Amino acid sequence: MNIKELTKGIFKENPVFIIVLGLCPVLGVSTQVSNAIGMSAGVLFVLLFSNIIISALRNIIPDSIHIPAYIVIIASLVTIIEMLMHAFAPAVYAALGVYLPLIVVNCIILGRAEAFASSNTVLDSALDAIGMSIGFALSLTLIALIREVLGAGTITLFPVGSFSGVIEVPWLVDNPFKVMALAPGALLLMGFLKAFFDWKAMRKAG
Amino acid sequence: MKKNLKYSLILLSICAISTALLALTNAITAPVIERQGQASRLAGLEAVSMGYEAGAQKVVTDDPAVTFMIELKDDRRTAGYILGLKGAGYGGEMTLVASYNTAGEILRVQLLSHNETPGLGKKAENEGYMDKFEGTGAAQAVPTNKSMLNSEDAAAVSGSTVTFVAIGKALEAGSRYVIGLGGK
Repeated sequence: MNIKELTKGIFKENPVFIIVLGLCPVLGVSTQVSNAIGMSAGVLFVLLFSNIIISALRNIIPDSIHIPAYIVIIASLVTIIEMLMHAFAPAVYAALGVYLPLIVVNCIILGRAEAFASSNTVLDSALDAIGMSIGFALSLTLIALIREVLGAGTITLFPVGSFSGVIEVPWLVDNPFKVMALAPGALLLMGFLKAFFDWKAMRKAG
Repeated sequence: MKKNLKYSLILLSICAISTALLALTNAITAPVIERQGQASRLAGLEAVSMGYEAGAQKVVTDDPAVTFMIELKDDRRTAGYILGLKGAGYGGEMTLVASYNTAGEILRVQLLSHNETPGLGKKAENEGYMDKFEGTGAAQAVPTNKSMLNSEDAAAVSGSTVTFVAIGKALEAGSRYVIGLGGK
């Protein structure tokens, strides 16, 4: 077991800020923290099981049919998580909208299947999937947190008991920077965060 | 030839196993999804029925904005209608239920589903948002642009004009549909 396979996806090979994969859902669903958590859970489920299955079948699936085989496996997993979320987490299902079925074409999933799971052991592939999913979840949640706080003045989590799930940020809730809730705000923030992570990486490299 | 057959069989096996797993998941989730849909619809209808007795639901196909109609009865007399409505919001289709009196005046509106932007169009979920539409449709026109609102309401929909217009136009279409029924 190589623990580096788990940790590399969190910072060193962060799928969003370093490898720059799966930006479409990152920009699309990062309007609320609860959406980011739901999307991250979906990506974790699909990436973990697709990496495990593809790694287990790597000696059975011939090279010439690996793309259709991977797509069938990934699309089936996405449809399963879509049905489960629709039934058991309808609010998250409604919030994620079209981005949930679009996990099928999320570059992180097919990218990790191609670049890692198809040539590594099941255990390493599972660790890679968990690490990449944590990296994706942290990036997506960070972007969603900044966008929601600035753009709506709220932090939307999940309702538990008497807690409605929505935390209001004083002043910002009445005076939000509305551009942050819209697509230009997502692109601006992504640009600033990418620049920050590049600057950190360059400083570290000396 | 032999190689192609082998590849086909591998793909066929993967597809067959995937189909079986999908069928199993569907068998578990379909009844839960069906129950949720019914519960959400019932809650919406109850919220807009104004205490009147609701009749049977009829599917409406001759109006693009109206999906269904339910007659509201007050002691065997037609008191109004509940309409299922749809509109095109900023994030895609929005569905609403609204009750009208026989003159086409909006009594109550309930937003059922939408995908609007938090902080902007999502404000349509807030209590009191639909107040600006209720009471319009007969003597007073349904507001479908910001110039028809008072300054306070216009400020409240600022930044979410597409959502406001989508709701207004769907409700206006519903009002027209009810007036077209001629109180029957």
